[in-house]
Amino acid sequence: MGEDLAEAVASATALVADQAGEWDRTGLLPLRLLRELGAQGRLCAEVPVQYGGLGLTSLTGGQYTAHIGSLCSSLRSVMTSQGMAAWTVQRFGTARQQADCLGRLTGGELAAVAFSEPQAGSDLSALGTTIRQDGESVVVDGRKKWVTAAHYADLLVVFGRYQDGAAAVLVPADAPGVRVERIADPLGCRAAGHADLWLDSVRLPVDSVLGGYGLPLPLLVTTALAYGRISVAWGCVGILRACLAAATAHAATREQFGRPLAEHQLVARHLAELYAGEQIASRVCEHASRCWDAGSPEQVVATVLAKHVSAARAAEGAASAVQVLASAGAADGHSVARAYRDAKLMEIIEGSSELCQLMLAQHAMTAGGLGRAMPGAGGTT
Amino acid sequence: MTSQNSPLTRPLADPEAVVAELLTFLEEQTRSLWEPETDLYRDGGLSSLFAMQLVVHLEKSYGIAIRGADLRLDNFRTVRLMSALVGRLQQAQADGRDG
Repeated sequence: MGEDLAEAVASATALVADQAGEWDRTGLLPLRLLRELGAQGRLCAEVPVQYGGLGLTSLTGGQYTAHIGSLCSSLRSVMTSQGMAAWTVQRFGTARQQADCLGRLTGGELAAVAFSEPQAGSDLSALGTTIRQDGESVVVDGRKKWVTAAHYADLLVVFGRYQDGAAAVLVPADAPGVRVERIADPLGCRAAGHADLWLDSVRLPVDSVLGGYGLPLPLLVTTALAYGRISVAWGCVGILRACLAAATAHAATREQFGRPLAEHQLVARHLAELYAGEQIASRVCEHASRCWDAGSPEQVVATVLAKHVSAARAAEGAASAVQVLASAGAADGHSVARAYRDAKLMEIIEGSSELCQLMLAQHAMTAGGLGRAMPGAGGTT
Repeated sequence: MTSQNSPLTRPLADPEAVVAELLTFLEEQTRSLWEPETDLYRDGGLSSLFAMQLVVHLEKSYGIAIRGADLRLDNFRTVRLMSALVGRLQQAQADGRDG
């Protein structure tokens, strides 16, 4: 596994090379690159080997995700989507759906996961998309917003109401009634293929519904998002590593007032805090991933903590890096300028910082024996 | 969330022992005492995030994989119901009906 990872890391470095800035500027990743990585199982590397994945542990997969995140957050976002789609299928799909779908997701097909709607962002209990059984078919109707990677996706994992609860349904992006409209100029992760979806009477075979059951919406969404959150958290570690490298390199060579920037105390403080942020985010992600790998129930809260801490540190760290590089890093396409915009989005997606804080507060209350004082906090019940 | 356990070598758990173990787990996690029949969400104020912790705990402790329809909240509503779920899934695995 160690060699697999080293090879995957080296290969990704070579494939991305110096193109991330250009991809950010044009808002598009080369589809060929995505298909190539996808067909090698490298967009969802934690899928078990039996389904064509690399079978990486959460910790090893996390290190790989951080590396991709240090190169290009748009590509890392596409990986997060692909991995979350695979995880959702693993968790909720029947054995047959897993065998079929996971093979496709490690065979070059691309996937996106659709949660948010115009009226249902943080409050996913307001989800309006419906999945309705009609004989041997299901019919999907709804509208989804800000679906990462949907512009590239062959397969859309769509969450909606079904029976007496909710379900995720596999929707081919080219099915009649599906319209995918790319968001042209997102603030960050500009090449991640964010898109809005329109689903109008999309008729699919009934076995497109994962598991085929109406499950409780909060449990369904919480489970699917768990993978997205740990992946985003590791991606933020990558952002911090890229910012630290850029800031230290600049501070070592750029001279003002007759000495390198690093010898100016106020600049040194930025470097120290960037380093602290990178270390803190790394440790909290490692802890969460070790909980996943051990099957520990602590993984649930550790993942929310990792996402929250890493996103906040990435946003702070990227702002510091721009400050240290100043005019040298303030142009579109520069790694720290990208990081600055990308990191801000990380505080919003996969559960905003505020939603994470509500969940962590509720956990702190519950763990302190005071859980009944705030039932249902954070809309998670 | 792992399915790496070895269900074939694992003896079936005694339902009352599962109830006792789950009550201990809940007490540790919430510093509160619980009854086997208490509705953890409606009356206990526990969240879906906590339900997910319970899913992972059951999988880890009893060598079961909880998938698909078994993830209905009704299976996790009380300690007694969770014990029944464990029994059912362990029996299914012992009978070779896994997955």
